[in-house]
Amino acid sequence: MSALAETPARPRVRPGSLALLLVTLTYFGYLAGYPYGLGFLVAAGAVVLAAFLRASRSGANAGYAPAPVLAALALEAVVAPVGFGTELFAGFAALAFLVWLADDPSRPTGGPRRSLPTIAVPSLALGIAWVSGIILPAGAVPLGVAGGLLALTLAAVAYLVGSPSLFDREEA
Amino acid sequence: MSDSPSRPIGWRPLSVTFVGVAAVLVFVAVLSRDPVPIFAALPLLLAPIAAGVVGPRRSPRIRLTLTIEGAAAEVQLRGAIAPPPEVDARDLFVEFERPASLREVSPPKFERSASEVRFRVDWTAPEPIITEVRPPTVLWRDPMGLVERPTVSSATPTVISRYPPELLRIGAVRLERTTPLPGESRSRRVGESGEFHGIRLARPEDSPRQINWRASARAGHPLANEYDLDKTGDILLLLDARPTPLGSEVDERLFSIVRAAALGLSDSFLTVKSRVGLGVFGEFLDVVPLATGRTQRVRIETALREARISTAFAPAERCAVSVRRHFPPGLTTVVFSSLADESSTDLSPYLRRRGYPVVILSPSPFPLITAAFPLAGVDELLARRIGKLVRRNRIARAWQEAPTIDWDDYWSLGKFVEFVRRPRLRRVG
Repeated sequence: MSALAETPARPRVRPGSLALLLVTLTYFGYLAGYPYGLGFLVAAGAVVLAAFLRASRSGANAGYAPAPVLAALALEAVVAPVGFGTELFAGFAALAFLVWLADDPSRPTGGPRRSLPTIAVPSLALGIAWVSGIILPAGAVPLGVAGGLLALTLAAVAYLVGSPSLFDREEA
Repeated sequence: MSDSPSRPIGWRPLSVTFVGVAAVLVFVAVLSRDPVPIFAALPLLLAPIAAGVVGPRRSPRIRLTLTIEGAAAEVQLRGAIAPPPEVDARDLFVEFERPASLREVSPPKFERSASEVRFRVDWTAPEPIITEVRPPTVLWRDPMGLVERPTVSSATPTVISRYPPELLRIGAVRLERTTPLPGESRSRRVGESGEFHGIRLARPEDSPRQINWRASARAGHPLANEYDLDKTGDILLLLDARPTPLGSEVDERLFSIVRAAALGLSDSFLTVKSRVGLGVFGEFLDVVPLATGRTQRVRIETALREARISTAFAPAERCAVSVRRHFPPGLTTVVFSSLADESSTDLSPYLRRRGYPVVILSPSPFPLITAAFPLAGVDELLARRIGKLVRRNRIARAWQEAPTIDWDDYWSLGKFVEFVRRPRLRRVG
């Protein structure tokens, strides 16, 4: 039998990224302020469900694995009150979600390391946003500027998504 | 390397979901004057764009090697994909397009490293086939599965042909020649006592007497004499591509088997330098004229690959008239016909009347029909017996016009090969 046939089966769960997602999302759920620890339960349930979907043998089910985590993240972010560090943990939870996505057991190992440059961009943006939120004084003008920038970003993203050829670079 | 244009980046459904969820969160944040949703939305908003920017900025040109191995029913695809250095091979997705006539034995196996993906695919051919296998589709996909980009390669489709192995022995049969050369006096003897034809590169199996020593000394490498009578004769392979009452699905499968057998037969005769012609009779006759050599092999293979069952039924006389127009009379003709109904048995009388000695090779539709419509118990036995009787009766009536071989085990043509090697063909005239 050839080496190709002897390739061992990959583990169906990658514990490192799953633990990171579980910790950040459940802590964010705790901070979200749902009564009776509901936020915590929603976050933990979403992570368990996502892990279960990913570990299932059906490829179609694995495709839906990000949905519960995304839903839990959105539900918690919508009700989370402003507080020192809450918004930072919202960002961390989203970044941990990206790391977990990159650590897909159906793909070769090393996904999080290969996706570091991709994750670095939103991490940097998150850091700048958080530092700006702390350093800049509160008021209508900075809020307006931030809102304008966000609207501009959304418009730019929508434009880029609609024009994929803009990403092409001609060879020299 | 081909000049295939770069294809744009593709957003996967997850990207669109990210952007949608992020937009909702931003909207909620503005409405509730709460910055927390914005912080959650920011990574979701930027990740697809970052993935697109960080990934390859045009379709990566990959080097794809693909070999097809296996014998008889086995089809094994092995190969390797090497992307350019800036692309990690572990981010390549390989998708195989399996032809409908092949079945998967096991899922594709991959061995990945940063610089190369090696793969192996095991398929099986339930019946003899000739089909085209396209190179696998290779996509670069970012590790998070947000964006993807098709790659570009110069690989071309590969043709798979699988036919009964007995056909490889049939080329040893000596056929009638139909076109003597000008001034040639036909000798009954074979080998080097025939007319001198030319000089060719010597082969290991050539005897010392066959080597042209003077010519070899002049050229500096061994050359051998070739004689006309070393060559065998001519053969016409005629495929009946008219529709039958069996229905299009069974017709297509039978025709696919016939195409593979015709290719095996032509391969075997072309190997011994016989001239082979091909005719496919659907509504009209499509022909590949008599010739020999590797080019002729490619011509026949291409014609067989593209041949399809016609939608309209045509009279057998039209076939015979067309054959007479393209091929000399006296040509040994193998007719491939399922003989599924009365009207499909009428090709051989018309061909015989125009001077073509005919052998009919008839693939039986029963193995396909019984596999597709399994019956239970007594019904099945009775139906099989009646079907076999009808088939036997039809073969017997076809024998009155031309030798007819019933082909019911698709992976064996022993009966046909035995018959052709010890012919009992009736002379026409």
